[in-house]
Amino acid sequence: MSYVGQSMPMMTNARLAAGKGMFVDDVQLPGMTFMAVLRSPYAHARIRGIDVSAAEALRGVLYVATGREIGEQTNPIPETYDTAAVGAKGVSWYALCVDRARFVGEAVAAVVAEDRFTAYEALDLIEVDYEELPAVSDPEQALEPGAPLVEPDWGDNLMASRDIRLGDPDTAFAEADGVVEGVVKSARITGAAIEPRGCVASWDPYKEALTFWDSTQAPHAVRMYLARTLGIADTSIRVIQPHVGGAFGLKLPTFQEEPLCAYLSMKVGRPVKWIETRAENLLVGGHARDTSFRYQAAYKADGELTGIRLDVIADVGAPSALCGWGMSFVTWYCLPCVYKCENSETHLRSVVTNKCPWNAYRGYGKDAASLLMERIMDHIAKATGIDRTEVRFRNFVQPDEFPYPQVSGAMLDSGNYPGALRKVMEMIDYEGFPALQEEARREGRRIGLGIAMELTPEGCSMPGSLMLNGTDSTEVRITPNGNVIVLTGITSPGCGNETGIAQIVADALRCDFSRISVVQGDTETCPWGFGNYSSRSIIIGGSAAQVAGDEIHDKMRQVAANMLEASADDIEVVDEQFVVRGSAGRGGVGFEDVAREVYSNPHGKNMEGIEPMLQSVRQWKMPNVYHQPEKQGRFSAYPSWPYGAAAAIVEVDPESGHVKILRYCLVEDAGTIVNPLLVDANLHGGIAQGIGGAMFEQIAYDESGQPLTATFMDYTLPTAVELPRLEIGHQQTPAPFTPLGTKGVGESGVGGTLGSLCSAIENALPEVDLHLTELPLTPSRIWEAIRNAPVPAGAAA
Amino acid sequence: MLAAGFEFHTPADLSEALRLLADKGPEAKVLAGGMSMVPAVNLGLLRPTCVVSLNHVSGLDSIDDSGDELRIGALVRHARIVSDPAIRQHAPALAAAASVIGDVQVRNRGTIGGSVAHADPAADYLPVLVAFGATIVVQGPQGTRELPAREFFLGVMLTQLTADEIVTEVRVPKLPPGAGSGYARLARVEGAFAIANAAAFVDGSRCVIGIGAAVPAPVVTELALGSQPDDAGLERVAEAARAACEDAYDDLSGSAGYRRAMAGVYARRAVSLAIEARG
Repeated sequence: MSYVGQSMPMMTNARLAAGKGMFVDDVQLPGMTFMAVLRSPYAHARIRGIDVSAAEALRGVLYVATGREIGEQTNPIPETYDTAAVGAKGVSWYALCVDRARFVGEAVAAVVAEDRFTAYEALDLIEVDYEELPAVSDPEQALEPGAPLVEPDWGDNLMASRDIRLGDPDTAFAEADGVVEGVVKSARITGAAIEPRGCVASWDPYKEALTFWDSTQAPHAVRMYLARTLGIADTSIRVIQPHVGGAFGLKLPTFQEEPLCAYLSMKVGRPVKWIETRAENLLVGGHARDTSFRYQAAYKADGELTGIRLDVIADVGAPSALCGWGMSFVTWYCLPCVYKCENSETHLRSVVTNKCPWNAYRGYGKDAASLLMERIMDHIAKATGIDRTEVRFRNFVQPDEFPYPQVSGAMLDSGNYPGALRKVMEMIDYEGFPALQEEARREGRRIGLGIAMELTPEGCSMPGSLMLNGTDSTEVRITPNGNVIVLTGITSPGCGNETGIAQIVADALRCDFSRISVVQGDTETCPWGFGNYSSRSIIIGGSAAQVAGDEIHDKMRQVAANMLEASADDIEVVDEQFVVRGSAGRGGVGFEDVAREVYSNPHGKNMEGIEPMLQSVRQWKMPNVYHQPEKQGRFSAYPSWPYGAAAAIVEVDPESGHVKILRYCLVEDAGTIVNPLLVDANLHGGIAQGIGGAMFEQIAYDESGQPLTATFMDYTLPTAVELPRLEIGHQQTPAPFTPLGTKGVGESGVGGTLGSLCSAIENALPEVDLHLTELPLTPSRIWEAIRNAPVPAGAAA
Repeated sequence: MLAAGFEFHTPADLSEALRLLADKGPEAKVLAGGMSMVPAVNLGLLRPTCVVSLNHVSGLDSIDDSGDELRIGALVRHARIVSDPAIRQHAPALAAAASVIGDVQVRNRGTIGGSVAHADPAADYLPVLVAFGATIVVQGPQGTRELPAREFFLGVMLTQLTADEIVTEVRVPKLPPGAGSGYARLARVEGAFAIANAAAFVDGSRCVIGIGAAVPAPVVTELALGSQPDDAGLERVAEAARAACEDAYDDLSGSAGYRRAMAGVYARRAVSLAIEARG
């Protein structure tokens, strides 16, 4: 039997469900001390001086560090995403602000104390002499002449800017039958993982070695960043990723606190623990998505999209070493998503403001691209009177056109977009909906149906990057007792890829699943890899596991053939027995017999000419990443292009603007599915976070850059009550470029929520020409939009 | 932010609690369920030097339904108000309001006295208490004061309670035979603070509406209404509610205009519920 394709519970379930997981705050070491961070109360301020004497004098305080010391003793944190390589502006970002704080919450000083309470108490005793500077929190204002500068050396607040013309947009607009235009703005959001950030640094002054437990996604990258920041050899650092309570991209390296904690452990010569509070997490744990689009779309009378003019403003917050700002480029790169449109003119601006920096968050800008395209499709449908689904069918890249070269340079690997849309229309009974809607209307209820596609490219590989560099490795070892250890460079922050990889290896080795154990997240034991990002674990780590497993299986098959005095080509494996083909049940050698033979008789006749041991470490890189445009004619960082078709039914209370989601269906194409249970679980999470960003969540600041959403009281997350039962359908178009045909699924489910919910709410109130332009779709915004909407001519009052 | 150290007292009777408050001065804070105070301390918004817990004070957690009023001890938890048969019978809107406070954990810990003393504008009880004409009983060094709920709440987390007093009881008049009550609220998600909430008390042609969340302190308005009001009658309810909410405020959940409009919508819904629920 094959394990790939089976729903198997996550290998870590029992331990986690029993509350016996080992998260970073569970790490207990003798002599542990605690770090607390003093954060800027100002959005922008010069630090004229810091008096730490009272804090140092507090009983139990071991060390107080300020930016001056950090600036002298450490290096800037290396950029995760090389700004210079793409013509963007960068900054030297240290583990503490050296002379200027640029957003509320930026780390200004740090205390190490014998216990947490003393560390926090000491923060109150640090006297910082701030000179408040003008701040800017609105990206449009930040672009105006004379606006306060986040980085005075830059001369403006533009981190990166791109003017991109593709095809012939002028002709497309001149020859269009019509043009729709509009604006849409997505909210600033964050992932709100159940476990905030945290780390434990333990410096051994005698070995001159650092052990670093980190709630991170990328232990190897953290090791490299820490080594560079601290100026020590990466080989003297061991990074261990314990269980991680959710990451969603926001735990990619590296924030100020990680090198800060490591530095302070070196200073005090004792282990230092730092655990972020929820309030700190909302303040400085990385934000995302805050993007606005002003668009025009040219169309033909039959609904064909022929041209796009686009002004994109991404508010990336203060510049840092984090990779989040790259999301603004990815948004552009995905366009026009699952549709064909060769003519476009895009003005893309990544603007800095005095707010928390962006870090990567599930969706990584792809979600915003899908939102824009689905709004355009709905508007063309409205303008032409053609059914919303029909407009989409008309503009799709067709199934026989893959691999499809998008105008952006992207090469869409495979898919069947109309197939997915048809399937989701069946699931939600699209044809039957008007009758349902009419029936509800008679009962005084207003329901609407929305449709949206999502495109979620995965497995990102950026040239010149030591973080986002698509490759990975997996080692498979079989012990003399016949057990299997898999060590991977990819990691699992709770999404279950260890289980999927074990399934892949069990199949490759033709052995029982129970033999497999998986080790992840330890730089000392696991081979090099970039960890968990861009839904790469199964496509890249899984592919490396597949080839490593295949290699060992080939060796075992040869040894078994020698033991059975047969040809390896004639060997098959039935119930872990290597047998001569067609002779199952009549002799053969077992999995453990072969393992024992390899280890115990390396010089025997069955091992003649065969390398000893059963161990293989194999690397994987995707063949369809294009980094040599001069030779390959294109640049494409994403090798895997999963997509989905979403359909939502909502009930709108027009008096209050309150919305209840009644049904949510998603048909997802993640290629070959390794574990349907875990794929669905990932999709449930993605949809839930998508609905959060579409309808509930927003990080808000006032004009002076003071945050308004300091707690979950103000940063509204959906609960189980707000979420409908999620209905998942699958379409499997195997990826042509991975051994198993797998695609990523970790970020899927997010993108489709945004457009489908806008679409559904507008559809619920056909008597007004409702245009929803800003996420999240809060009751007050919907109520305002209803009040401001024109009543279309001829509509019944 | 974690709290710095503070004194913690667990008096066994009310007089000891009052003495502690008198001794320690205004920096001493009273702890009941802790569902508002503990988060405020953890966030660094409140830094008490002394905390006096009422959780061991006897006699504050009873519900007495023997008279014309329900006498609800200040330490009665929300969960008990949801399920108590006397409250469900005699003040059903109060039970309805309690049922949507926070989540299960909050309802198991939080107390009616704490909610009243804290006086968060969005608290679910407040519109019910003003609509019913409840009385807040407080005790202090000068003795007992019985304060009408309609006068007790002064503004955002501001009441007539002085620093040396403790809310000991909430008295809610029993619904007369044939009268009805209802509670309705708008919140973004289950368990979140209300954007607007309203309670209605309907007895014959008398219709009393309490409105909270939209305004800094609960307001009350009264009008005469037919026994089966039509749309125009209900629109008069909404109009009265909007007019009572001149002080509606802005925040991330909605503008003052939105809040005022929602006060109207939810007042009307509360009245409809009250009419349906009439005995």
